[in-house]
Amino acid sequence: MITRQLEPITFSGGQLTPADLEQLRRRLLFKIRRHIGMFCPDAQDLLQETLTRFIAAVKAGSFRNPERIGAFINGICNNVIHEYRRNLWRQVDYEATAPEDRAVAPDAEDAVMASEVRAVLLRLSARDARLLGDFYLNGKSRDEICREMDVTNDQFRVMLFRAKARFRKALHQTS
Amino acid sequence: MDLHGEPLERERVIVEYLQNRLNKAALEEFEDHYIGCQECFEELRLAAELMKALAETAVQRRDVGEITVLEFAAPTDLIAGSRPYDELSRSVLEQKDTKVLIDMSKVSRIDSAGLGLLMSCYSHVVRNRGSLKLLNPSANVENLLAITRINSVLETYSALPEAVHSFQEQ
Repeated sequence: MITRQLEPITFSGGQLTPADLEQLRRRLLFKIRRHIGMFCPDAQDLLQETLTRFIAAVKAGSFRNPERIGAFINGICNNVIHEYRRNLWRQVDYEATAPEDRAVAPDAEDAVMASEVRAVLLRLSARDARLLGDFYLNGKSRDEICREMDVTNDQFRVMLFRAKARFRKALHQTS
Repeated sequence: MDLHGEPLERERVIVEYLQNRLNKAALEEFEDHYIGCQECFEELRLAAELMKALAETAVQRRDVGEITVLEFAAPTDLIAGSRPYDELSRSVLEQKDTKVLIDMSKVSRIDSAGLGLLMSCYSHVVRNRGSLKLLNPSANVENLLAITRINSVLETYSALPEAVHSFQEQ
């Protein structure tokens, strides 16, 4: 993994420690998977390419505003994803057969977390579970949920964050 | 996009992002932000796991008055080692609900472990001074409940209002 081979990255106005880079790596991987598919085996390659280009940009002095680090790296990442897609389309044009299925299994860490999350969900009250389901899954608006559950906007806010807090707490206890 | 000022606004953006409902400009603005913000990323990751788990949940809970109704999200086999088996077990045995109705309409097959689980759930709820009943089992399941005489302990009903009324009579 590229982040484990690196020394801290220093640039004008700041520094990225290996721990910062590891967090950055996780955030980028999440974004890349959202764009190219959760189980696409090329996600790690795109991540490495993004980090490599970022480090090259830092060394070349192109990165000057540490407060805009998210936007800077996201821009690089978008370019990497666009190039990957263009290459993929070119390959599809030339190859008569369908590309073989190269899906990979999810990370072990993600699989463990998903299993813990399911266990935690079962311990929520029916009311909390319904609220979370309506808001996060069923695409219902706040007004719809308030009407159906007969609560005010303020009550909705309290219920939502209390339910999420319980969920977060139970998850931390489980893990 | 006020992600740190208004938590509900951040949550709305996260949900729309995960459901691919953000327009291009908003999508880019949100990604620019969370790539550089660990706090927002943690909220995003938690919400993503939550949504995935909600979508994959095999047993759903809802309240009808004071009664907790448990129903299977999809046609299922209640057999040892299956996710519905595991989730039903946790949904009853790890809770303290005293009025529990299990909707069996989507259970097409049940094995001895599944029958044993129903009895364990029944014993657990009775120990908490409550009652557990079954709703609308299929003909196959009803037949097995009769052969094993579990139906002499576990009351079964064919319609929700009738089942709800039976809890109120107690």
